Amino acid sequence: MIKLEHVSKIYKGDVTALNDATVEVEKGEFVFLVGASGSGKSTFLRLVNKQDSPERGRIFVAGKDIATLSSWKVPMLRRNIGSVFQDFKLLTNKTVYENVAFALEVIGRPRHVVKTQVPAILELVGLGKKMGNFPNELSGGEQQRVSIARAFVNRPLILLADEPTGNLDPATSVGIMRLLDRINRTGTTVVMATHDRSIVDSMRRRVIELDRGSIIRDQSRGVYE
Amino acid sequence: MALKIDYVARETAANLTRNVTLTLASVLTVVVSLTLAGSAFMLNQGVNNANDRFKGGIEFIVYLQPTATQDQKASIQRALESNPEVKDNGVTYVDQDATYQEFKRLFGDSPQLVETVTADILPPSFKVAPKVQDPDVVQALGNQFRDKPGVYDVVFAFEVVRRIQETFNKISVRFLIASGLLLLAALMLILNTIRVAMFARRREIEVMKLVGATNWFIRVPFIVEGVIQTLIGAAVAIASMTYLIRPFIDELSRDKVLPIFQGFEVTDSNLLFTNLTVLAVAVGIGAIGSAVAVSRFLDV
Repeated sequence: MIKLEHVSKIYKGDVTALNDATVEVEKGEFVFLVGASGSGKSTFLRLVNKQDSPERGRIFVAGKDIATLSSWKVPMLRRNIGSVFQDFKLLTNKTVYENVAFALEVIGRPRHVVKTQVPAILELVGLGKKMGNFPNELSGGEQQRVSIARAFVNRPLILLADEPTGNLDPATSVGIMRLLDRINRTGTTVVMATHDRSIVDSMRRRVIELDRGSIIRDQSRGVYE
Repeated sequence: MALKIDYVARETAANLTRNVTLTLASVLTVVVSLTLAGSAFMLNQGVNNANDRFKGGIEFIVYLQPTATQDQKASIQRALESNPEVKDNGVTYVDQDATYQEFKRLFGDSPQLVETVTADILPPSFKVAPKVQDPDVVQALGNQFRDKPGVYDVVFAFEVVRRIQETFNKISVRFLIASGLLLLAALMLILNTIRVAMFARRREIEVMKLVGATNWFIRVPFIVEGVIQTLIGAAVAIASMTYLIRPFIDELSRDKVLPIFQGFEVTDSNLLFTNLTVLAVAVGIGAIGSAVAVSRFLDV
């Protein structure tokens, strides 16, 4: 589903964010990216949905080389990739329902699809009763559920999560991980960058460890260290 | 992917009301610059119309002494009619009575003046239409008659027209330069308005990009916003030209104290052409300003 071949990414000022990384993630896998801050986890995710382009190497998503993808096709790539962030990136002037509906409206989904899909996905993430609330009326965990609902409402092939539990307490984090696990079991490939040792150790999924841009460990059913 | 009209309408309305002062500044600049440009354009056409009217008819008038003898008149008439530069049937004799009638018509609102004048002190004249329109040729032709016995003066119609035209060309060139600068200001204001609108909505734009909205889906509401601003400006400019500037020119052309404006006429088709030009310029400015803004400041 995702394949990196000798990928290097160098930011301005000779900061090597990713150094000759070669790795493959199969369809339906659940992968943790671990490593210290600045080790290249976020860069990895940004390269997969083409928010950034690598200096060297090739990246395949769903069998297609995205380095040669023309810019007008990038939106089509992103429709197959859901993204979840530490800071949720919710629109504060829109309700929970509107935030999720927005993701479908802006890719031109017909209204009847929006009207059926949005309540269904909000029910799935456990927010069926809070559709009319605004994000600042919700707890952090609930806000992250909204952002997961938004990322998943279009049923993407891949879900990228950049420290989704970074702002949440342990109990709330467990709930979020259950939700991501559920999404993974529908066949969606999940790649999650995290610092959360207890989550990685309890889930026992594939772990890819990065250190200063290099992949130093790739372990199935792995632990944080 | 088809853009939803209600989506674009909703987003554009929100953008326009978010930045009322900035929007108003660009709209007003568009109004002033387009009104200025349109007025210069209309004046220009008015001058051309006046000029055309002269060109179609009399180019110079030979005024005779009121005391000129019949022989002198006949000799001048023969000389004019036999001149190869003068049109066939291009010589019209206006006798003293006809001149008096014209005088009464022109100064009808000054009865004291009319009373002091009688037909016999007014000069009879020949109105002459030459074959060529070239001012130099016409001038040379007219001057041949200046020193003939019985001639009081030779007056060239085109001299006046040419002076009027030159004056108004100068005026309209200055108007056009000023309005060009203002249009440039309008363009930059629109560019900036759109840029501020995009900055205000950067979080939404970020989310739109992440979930895979196409570039045009993100851009079109901003471009529509820019075009709507200039369209509002154009509508006000067109209204003011139609209901203020044109009636003003018409009034001037009827003004007897300022004869320089006589013959000025802005026809309905002149007005329509001016308004359509203003509309096209407005749409162009709005589209260019906002298109530059989205391509420079919207990194999608």
